[in-house]
Amino acid sequence: MTAPTLSARGVFKHFGATRALDNLDFDVRAGETHALVGENGAGKSTLVRILGGVHRPDRGGLAIDGEPRRFNGPRDAIAAGIVTIPQELHLVSMLSIAENLTLQDVPLRHLLGLPLIDRARMHQAAREQLAQLDFAPDLDLRVDRLSFAERQLVAIAKALRGRCRVLILDEPTAALETREIERLFAVLARMKSQGTAIIYVSHRLDEVVSLGDRCTALRDGRSVATSRRGAFKVADLVEAITGRTLVQADARASVPGAVVLEEIAERPDAIRLRANEVVGLAGLLGSGASAVLRRLFGLASETIELRRNGVAKRIASPSDAVRIGIGFVPGERRLGLVMNLSVRDNILLPSLDLLASGGTIDRAKVDRLVKQMMELLNIRPRHPDRRVSALSGGNQQKVILAKWLMREVGVLLLDEPTQGIDIAAKQQIHTLLLDFARRGGGVLIRSSEIAELMLICDSILALHQGRVMDRLTRSGAFDDKRLQRAIGG
Amino acid sequence: MLSPLLRFNPVGQIPLLTLLALCLVTALLTDRFLSPLNLSNILVQSSIMAVIAIGMTFVIIGGGFDLSVGSTVALAGCVAAMAMVKFGIAVGVAAGIATGLVIGLANGVIIANLGVNPFITTLGTMVLVRGVVYLITGGAPVGDDTLPAGFIAFGSARFLGIHYLVWVPAVILLVLSWMMRATPYGRRIYATGGNREAAYLSGVPVERIIASTYAWSGALAGIAGVMLAARLQSGQPTAGEFYELTAIAAVILGGASLQGGEGTLYKSIIGVFIMIVLGNSLNLLNVDSYWQRVAIGAVIIAAATVDRLRSRS
Repeated sequence: MTAPTLSARGVFKHFGATRALDNLDFDVRAGETHALVGENGAGKSTLVRILGGVHRPDRGGLAIDGEPRRFNGPRDAIAAGIVTIPQELHLVSMLSIAENLTLQDVPLRHLLGLPLIDRARMHQAAREQLAQLDFAPDLDLRVDRLSFAERQLVAIAKALRGRCRVLILDEPTAALETREIERLFAVLARMKSQGTAIIYVSHRLDEVVSLGDRCTALRDGRSVATSRRGAFKVADLVEAITGRTLVQADARASVPGAVVLEEIAERPDAIRLRANEVVGLAGLLGSGASAVLRRLFGLASETIELRRNGVAKRIASPSDAVRIGIGFVPGERRLGLVMNLSVRDNILLPSLDLLASGGTIDRAKVDRLVKQMMELLNIRPRHPDRRVSALSGGNQQKVILAKWLMREVGVLLLDEPTQGIDIAAKQQIHTLLLDFARRGGGVLIRSSEIAELMLICDSILALHQGRVMDRLTRSGAFDDKRLQRAIGG
Repeated sequence: MLSPLLRFNPVGQIPLLTLLALCLVTALLTDRFLSPLNLSNILVQSSIMAVIAIGMTFVIIGGGFDLSVGSTVALAGCVAAMAMVKFGIAVGVAAGIATGLVIGLANGVIIANLGVNPFITTLGTMVLVRGVVYLITGGAPVGDDTLPAGFIAFGSARFLGIHYLVWVPAVILLVLSWMMRATPYGRRIYATGGNREAAYLSGVPVERIIASTYAWSGALAGIAGVMLAARLQSGQPTAGEFYELTAIAAVILGGASLQGGEGTLYKSIIGVFIMIVLGNSLNLLNVDSYWQRVAIGAVIIAAATVDRLRSRS
């Protein structure tokens, strides 16, 4: 048997007091897809960064084709044919597709000794690169006009321009729709058949099961299981990752109370929300589901009118919404948190006016409240002074929820609150949301994961092109097929 | 839980250690440095810059910066002197501070509400305000020999052995540091500078917060202008040149980040001392004044580089 294309042996990595990787072995072979799963903070991203030359291991080392190698930076890794497609794509948004694809070595022609860009050859090269992916956009289109899925294809095409022996994808499907995921998988299958080794990091375990030839689960920086195709199922992976078996959230059986939030204007996507109720918004990207949440939080350009607990209110900005007890958990964590501030300051941010007595903040009182909140939500580590940027994704998401629970809002609007976080944290957030509703709160939640909505919602609104196409209620169970149809228009 | 004093963080103390090292080196090179007269000089020189730097710290924590403070110092000093000659000390002082406040508010509204880039906006007001100073004064000093005796005394008299001019930033520092720490407003400035969008989505009125930081900067520059007029015993239209750069350099030396969201008022004062002591020691060592400019420019670049390296790590 030949040596693995890329391998890591006995890798240790510390960040301050945190042990990110602990004597880890990992390898990938030509023509193989090796999936990497684990909770947030398990060490997946650290491993990916070490393989990509961003970090250097404290101990242990890398080998290519069995030969020990040392990367002094991402350039070395790229030169060795190891290409990482990160979650945030590194494309120049102001340049065209063709320009982005040829950025590393722009085709030149010389006029009177002056180097000029050879546009014809640039287009030719770009077209060939994209043809490998069955993707034929207008090459002069600026990259910031593309959807995320299209930009991802451009990033992959760009990676393929150099020699690509190992392709590392970090959560590539987090922002993709079903059809786009299928296209991506077809591209990966073709690359694999051409002998590229693929490392695939994902939280979506069903993908891992269908895509991975091998799968490694990480926990606390150690490899807890590596198994071959056919030997792992979703339930096994969950157990390996979390160290326990999956427990379903309680089936909902609550009686909705009085209307807590109701839009006054007649519109095809008007919202009415009751106390004790969890309403889901289902829809593909661009269906207008996110827009509903943003509108209710005062982020639309126009002022909206709604009734909050029966009283008419106008909302022109988020501060209006917050004042009448509406909280918003945005789809991206960096929009929900001030990363260079402490956990305490982030939790207190929306409630500062309520907590100030006589114009000043009672430090002892707020410290007590923050401590209670961190215990209630099990935010780890339990250090309110720690910068929120040092927390794992799941804990960061809990801090965002804590902000609104501290404010004691009556309505929570959530956009993909569990995207990209691990299963244990996801379940905790579901439990918290159900608990919030049980105490008389109203929850409006958007998720691209229909199973999640069916798990926790009392009713689900299916949106398509800014209209509510269907409204499904939980009477025994949701009709999966009907929901899919409604979403598709 | 350790008390804040026991939790010694060496990185956070770099400004103070730099200042102490600078003082030590200068004291070893010349015995004139530690003379009471020289030390008192340093304090008085630092006092005016300290008031400006406190305002600048507000703006920089809020994620912006303000190039107009030097011109504001000149205009506030001249307006104060003109008003004082006619209407007395109180009106003069109030007019000077109000002048600074108005300029700061204008900056704030243009930057926060209209969304114009802070560099361009305050570069514009810097030039514009300087023009206004020359227009209203005709380029000549205001109030030479005609300012009230009480005001001139304020520029040189002492209270408990320390110049009044030094008491001003000391009191301002105490009150505003407390405000930054203990009031919702203070915490919101940090949040807005750290992540404007996240603060907005938490219900923070970010436009008002940002505008207010420029108002502080303007008003404090106004106070500095009045102090400078007292010290110079006149309103000088050419006063305050390069003050904005010294103030920005001091704030960055004090550990605030140009990315916003970070900074401490008292550490900015340490940054001011570093700048003033550096100039003072170069003077005492008879370094050519042209070389002094080179040195101060290099310090500004070094401070910005350290800021960059720190935010990367």
